[in-house]
Amino acid sequence: MIKKIKASKSEKLIFIFLILLAITTFCTYFIVKNKCLFVKDVDPKDIIFKNPNNIAILNAPCGNIIIELYPDISPNAVQRFVTLIKSNAYENIAFHRVIENKLIQAGDLEFGKKGNLDYGKIGTGKSGLGTIKSEIDNDFNYTKGSVGLARTFKNDTEDSQFFIILQDEPLFEGEYTPVGKVLYGLEVLKKIKSDKRSEYILRPDFINSFKMLN
Amino acid sequence: MNLIRAILLLIFLITPLKANTIYNLIKIPNLEIYEINTKNKLKYFYAARPFQLGTQKNIVCSNPNKKDLEIKYKIIHKNLNRYSYDYLKKINLKYIVMCKNLSISELYTAGIPDNIMKTLILDIKFNEKYFERVIHHEVFHIIHLQHKNIFNEDEWIEFNNFGFKYAECSTCTKNISLEKYQETDGFFTEYSKSTASEDMAEVYSHMIFLKKKEINQIRKFDPILNNKISYIENKIKEIDNSFTF
Repeated sequence: MIKKIKASKSEKLIFIFLILLAITTFCTYFIVKNKCLFVKDVDPKDIIFKNPNNIAILNAPCGNIIIELYPDISPNAVQRFVTLIKSNAYENIAFHRVIENKLIQAGDLEFGKKGNLDYGKIGTGKSGLGTIKSEIDNDFNYTKGSVGLARTFKNDTEDSQFFIILQDEPLFEGEYTPVGKVLYGLEVLKKIKSDKRSEYILRPDFINSFKMLN
Repeated sequence: MNLIRAILLLIFLITPLKANTIYNLIKIPNLEIYEINTKNKLKYFYAARPFQLGTQKNIVCSNPNKKDLEIKYKIIHKNLNRYSYDYLKKINLKYIVMCKNLSISELYTAGIPDNIMKTLILDIKFNEKYFERVIHHEVFHIIHLQHKNIFNEDEWIEFNNFGFKYAECSTCTKNISLEKYQETDGFFTEYSKSTASEDMAEVYSHMIFLKKKEINQIRKFDPILNNKISYIENKIKEIDNSFTF
């Protein structure tokens, strides 16, 4: 005859603990680890744009960032930006400088290419097309999502590097050449790999693709 | 000892990165925005805490109290408002930093111009009596630094009486009074005699600060100052033809 053995209190506790541990492990691997899980990815095909010729789509690890370019404000800078986008120069280029909830910088074509990253020089690379003049005289409000061309301490040193701001930066007006504004995808940008201790990112995220809509 | 090191390292590693836009722009720490929406687009900052600058950390300035800041900002703003956005752009001045007890290597100074960073640091407690005029004196230093090729010190020296010699440097003399001479004789103040650059700045600031009638009177009776005033007038016109004193 088999006697039914009742589980003791401590055995029950261990059992509950093991179940909780399993749930936690599951969440860690399948939910928390997937940083893109709750990020809405926008498909540009679903949107009707006012100026479709000025729309650029940057694809990052968590989805699309849709940017409207402003050739009326910075004609030369936008022309340079579009030239590089159309030649696929930004593909597999690192988001090398990321300040959480503040700024994301990418576009070092020389030292920021996937498989050929140079951490010692990243941020100083050139496109090979030469620098262009700063276009900072027109009024432009650097609000959240604004896209501008990066430069050295001196004006007229803009090349291929660009930044996107994740908070309003009124002091950027008249300092940096604006090229556009993010219409959709700020949440995608917030998921780009950052480091609380450093602006420059070790093993950074990369641009998957960057294309013009038309 | 190792444990202390480890704890310090841990504190350092968990200290979050604080990105400071003002610091990134002009490389001066501990500043906060005072006013950035101005007609001529000058951006005013103030020292929220004391700061030290330079490779030797020899430039030092403290944080002013709110009341002083409020009073002096109005004066600075009123005086700098006479410069247009275009003029400021040509002379490369965009940021004004207001602080207290500004010194370089322990020598107190009214202002420190930095045309590269488009910044003028002003000591809001410096010489109350001449505070307003000194603002323009410091603006001239920005102009001079930005347009070194336009202002020729050798030409300037020629305006002075034969045998006159400036001091070796602006702090190499004890004669630093900013009081305007009753009888000018080629110089507006004692401080004008320190260096050619300071002399130019004194002429410029008086041209801005004094009434036209008073300047004309000086021009009439002081041929040296008349030449110096004409020189500054012409050189400023080269920089911005639309600027009027």
